[in-house]
Amino acid sequence: MNLYEHTIITRQDVSSSQLKQLQEKYSQIVEKNEGDIVKLENWGLMNLSYLIKKNKKGNYIHFKIKADGKIISELEKSEKIDKNLLRYLTVKVKKFDLETDYFKKNVDKEVDKKPKYNYEKKK
Amino acid sequence: MKKRNNKKKSSQSTFARLSIFQNQKYKIKKKCPLSGKDGPVVDYKNIKLLKRYVSENGKILPSRITSVSQKKQRELSLSIKRARNLALI
Repeated sequence: MNLYEHTIITRQDVSSSQLKQLQEKYSQIVEKNEGDIVKLENWGLMNLSYLIKKNKKGNYIHFKIKADGKIISELEKSEKIDKNLLRYLTVKVKKFDLETDYFKKNVDKEVDKKPKYNYEKKK
Repeated sequence: MKKRNNKKKSSQSTFARLSIFQNQKYKIKKKCPLSGKDGPVVDYKNIKLLKRYVSENGKILPSRITSVSQKKQRELSLSIKRARNLALI
């Protein structure tokens, strides 16, 4: 059994009910093959930094999976075909970092708080 | 004269480090900001950290400018590339 972090990006015009279906679909694939989903994070609709298939935004879903390698190849096989998905990424990790959540909504506010460069000083 | 020179040195920060022909005396030796016990975790999800080591055009900055250690630079470049794939950077 290995530990994997798995992220998928869905298209921007996917409805919330469809999102749940996608979530269940892929978590079922894992659970059917005796895998374990340790944590499921929904990062929500975020801006993509560049266009992917003419999409400006994307819904991010993040799985933390404890499973064998076979399951991952099966997951990716079905994700390749799925037209609602833009990208997927799996990363094998040694240890899960369950505490820090990088994509909570208050993170965005902190970025705004950053002191902006003072142009007046230069003059 | 010497005092004047020192003042100039401090005002031109990053470009001074870039020059190849600079005097050995003035070489800036800085510790790696990522290693050490309480260094931040390099991870593809930690965009805030990664953005610091990327130029405005999205290129990875060389370690001679950022003074990141060799081991951490390898980690950085891998996680920046992962973040690019997910369109986070």
